[in-house]
Amino acid sequence: MTPGPAYALAYAGLWLVLIASAILAITFGPAHISASDVWAVVLHHLGWGDSPVSRLRDAIVWELRLPRVLAAIGIGSGLALSGTVMQVLTRNPLADPYLLGLSSGAALGAVIFLLAGAALLMPLGAFVGSLTALALALLIARLLGGATPSRAILAGICIAALASAMTSLLIFWSATGDSYREILSWLMGSLSGTTWADTGLVGLGLVLCAPAILFSGRGLDAFAFGDAAATGLGIDIARLRWTLLAATALLTGVMVAIGGAIGFVGLVVPHAVRLAVGSRHRVLLPMSMLVGGIFMLWTDTAARSLFDPRELPVGIVTALVGAPAFLLILLRYRRVT
Amino acid sequence: MRLPAFTLATVLVALAAIGSTAVQAATAYPLTVQNCGVDVTFDRAPQRAVTIKSTATELLLSLGLSDRIVGVGFQDGPLPDDLAAAGAGLKVLSDKLPSQEVVLEAEPDFIYGGWESNFAADGVGERPTLAALGVGTYVAPAACRSFKPPRLTFEMLFGEIEEMGAIFDVESAAAALVERQKTSLAVLVPDARRLTAVWYSSGTKTPYVSGGTNAPAMIMRALGLDNIFGDIDDGWISASWEAIVDADPDVIVLVDAAWNSAEQKKKLLADNPITSRLDAVVNQRYLIIPFPASEAGVRNVPAAVDMAAQLAALQFPVP
Amino acid sequence: MTGLVISGAEVRAGQKAILAGVSLSAEKGTVTGLLGPNGAGKSTLILAALGLVPLAAGRVTFEGAELPGMRPADRARLCAYVEQAATTAERLTVRDVVALGRVPFQSAWQAAPSERDEELVATTLAELGMAAFANRLYHTLSGGEQQRVQIARALAQEPRLLLLDEPTSHLDIRAQLMVLETLRRRADSGCMVLVALHDLNLASRYCDRLVILDAGRVAAEGPPADVLDPALLRAVYGVHATIAQLPDTPAPLVIYDRPAVEDDSAAKYD
Repeated sequence: MTPGPAYALAYAGLWLVLIASAILAITFGPAHISASDVWAVVLHHLGWGDSPVSRLRDAIVWELRLPRVLAAIGIGSGLALSGTVMQVLTRNPLADPYLLGLSSGAALGAVIFLLAGAALLMPLGAFVGSLTALALALLIARLLGGATPSRAILAGICIAALASAMTSLLIFWSATGDSYREILSWLMGSLSGTTWADTGLVGLGLVLCAPAILFSGRGLDAFAFGDAAATGLGIDIARLRWTLLAATALLTGVMVAIGGAIGFVGLVVPHAVRLAVGSRHRVLLPMSMLVGGIFMLWTDTAARSLFDPRELPVGIVTALVGAPAFLLILLRYRRVT
Repeated sequence: MRLPAFTLATVLVALAAIGSTAVQAATAYPLTVQNCGVDVTFDRAPQRAVTIKSTATELLLSLGLSDRIVGVGFQDGPLPDDLAAAGAGLKVLSDKLPSQEVVLEAEPDFIYGGWESNFAADGVGERPTLAALGVGTYVAPAACRSFKPPRLTFEMLFGEIEEMGAIFDVESAAAALVERQKTSLAVLVPDARRLTAVWYSSGTKTPYVSGGTNAPAMIMRALGLDNIFGDIDDGWISASWEAIVDADPDVIVLVDAAWNSAEQKKKLLADNPITSRLDAVVNQRYLIIPFPASEAGVRNVPAAVDMAAQLAALQFPVP
Repeated sequence: MTGLVISGAEVRAGQKAILAGVSLSAEKGTVTGLLGPNGAGKSTLILAALGLVPLAAGRVTFEGAELPGMRPADRARLCAYVEQAATTAERLTVRDVVALGRVPFQSAWQAAPSERDEELVATTLAELGMAAFANRLYHTLSGGEQQRVQIARALAQEPRLLLLDEPTSHLDIRAQLMVLETLRRRADSGCMVLVALHDLNLASRYCDRLVILDAGRVAAEGPPADVLDPALLRAVYGVHATIAQLPDTPAPLVIYDRPAVEDDSAAKYD
């Protein structure tokens, strides 16, 4: 496959699919609002024309659906990007963004804040928790003799187990029926009740962290054959690793804080994209982001519309779709090799 | 002086006839009841009962059985005023679900569970195990999950009261209680304004609301409110704000719990950018009910009466 | 000195000395063979030159500049490294792998390889006889084919110094000769090649100078004719061998006889 024109076409195609999906997805939902009315509301808020629907329905589109759709795209692309980087950094195809204790730490932080009565500050608790868990994992890896990828993974498993146990203890000890539900929803990953503030945070996380990661494309390529080869190709591996780890951890921390522990996106999307375009990271990273955004967009739309008027936590849908998808990918890997 | 036998017999029959209208027949033991898929046999009226959940405690107290309660667990809130005195000295086994050992330490012969899940190995114990130890068990029918619960009605609630009366051999108290509740209910006039309502229990991002088959749905029907999720064949559901906003209910019922008060919920609804625009929120059209009264039990009828009064006081502009 | 100069290189692992004062010098335009039994320190010496293994003492310079302390990016533009066994879990084509050799010359925001890059990739693949494999997935190749791809990648870096760690270990004889011919050609056009080899005869044939390492020290250094002798082979390799000199070739030939045993004394088998 000659690079250049074919990839440019693929990019353009993915962007088109993403934008078309977003435009389509905001018309789905339990409330019966016609598609043209939905788009008219959006245009009205952007400055063109009047809102053709009542104040409340306007709020449904502009305050409920649109921020949620945008947040889904952001979180999906962020998680896919993080997952891709983790898989390269740890040289482990089963890595996902939560590998180094990030999601367990976030869960613990979120639960602590929830049970302390600061339910609205759960995102902050999650963020702090994830970064604390990461710091501890890296500390342990150093104590084990130096933060190599395999040691970091092992340390991450330790911390994740510890954080999970503490979370379970806290839930068992002090949760009431209501907080059980909130915690479960968070643990499975849910985009219910996403506000513009949440969407803004997701966007901020992406803007701060994604560029650093995207520009590391060639460094990540050089990593393909390990540290020695990468150094031989001129990459400052220590600096690259730390930069990428920091950016990924921060990005994942924000995504998890807003959406909870949504699984499978960060694991499956990179593999699917790799099957199609190979492992050249300069291409793989941005395409993973686009595919991740599209994937999350549709799974969340399904989560909030399929069982009207009920809502499923989106993590259930990503798991239901992601697990069989992963199986298909593994089968294709086997056939190609 | 010896009364003639004939006169004596007549007097006795007359007395019996008078008595039978005022006193129900005493329970014939052994009594077997079918409760939530399990046949429970009582050889005599239980003397040492443990109640789990406020509704169980309140039911037994309302039947005048306070001296037969040896322990209570997982109470949801304070007792209502009319039962406070009777329940003042009750021994609290645990704030949450007591373990099997703690319950058995109280040497009960009857455990009345407000949730079916209470009877698990890591709870008060499984029903067959307890039966083998001579402890009768009972699950509140409204809480029975093994079988798909039918729509809860007041008739079913009264049935539970009567069944409890039979088990404890206090049929007259039970019948009297049912009569009182039926009378209150009969006096209750459903609101004629055909208002829509949602019963909001908890949840910030995902609202947890009442569907069509539980006690809240039953109360709303009695009040003449059109429950926006009334056609959902389930008790409690996690709904979406979008569905609620789309329905734009006229009235919102708020459950006032110790861990999540009605005031907190009002504030939440007012602060949320979407719900703050709901008519019911803007005009503060709320009905408040304390949590223990919202669960299926003897407080439902008084709560419904109270809510009817709240409802009548709500003003709606003439369209 | 405008070549590679290593003086007094020491590498330690705890108390144990892996390299105990190694010194050598090599001119540009030459092929220097690094020899010695397993564990002698050949790989470590190369890694130390690259700065991947810290030097406890000593210096390594190339064209007068300190090599280990150089910024990796600068070093990668003048020096290419081929490791012994390069494995990857990534799904890369052969062309992708060779294209990695151009990474030191590309900027962070360069999305696609330049024309020059693509030209070099094609040329080096052809040089190693791997042109037909360009679109194959790297991990589907045999060990020997993978090694040749790695060498192509190194050559794509257009290095002035080539460090190779046993690049011929999995190759069949034709491929071995092809690789060494390529290295020879590169040296002839000005590159400085330091290659660790295990085959004494190939080393003798293709290298200008040999450096024999034994337990972290230099046992002998110089042109093959000077270095290869039976006493050295017995001492360093533990083998009895004869050195033959054929009339038309300057490179001496090693003819192996039998392994030396512990209590062997020179007198018994003369």
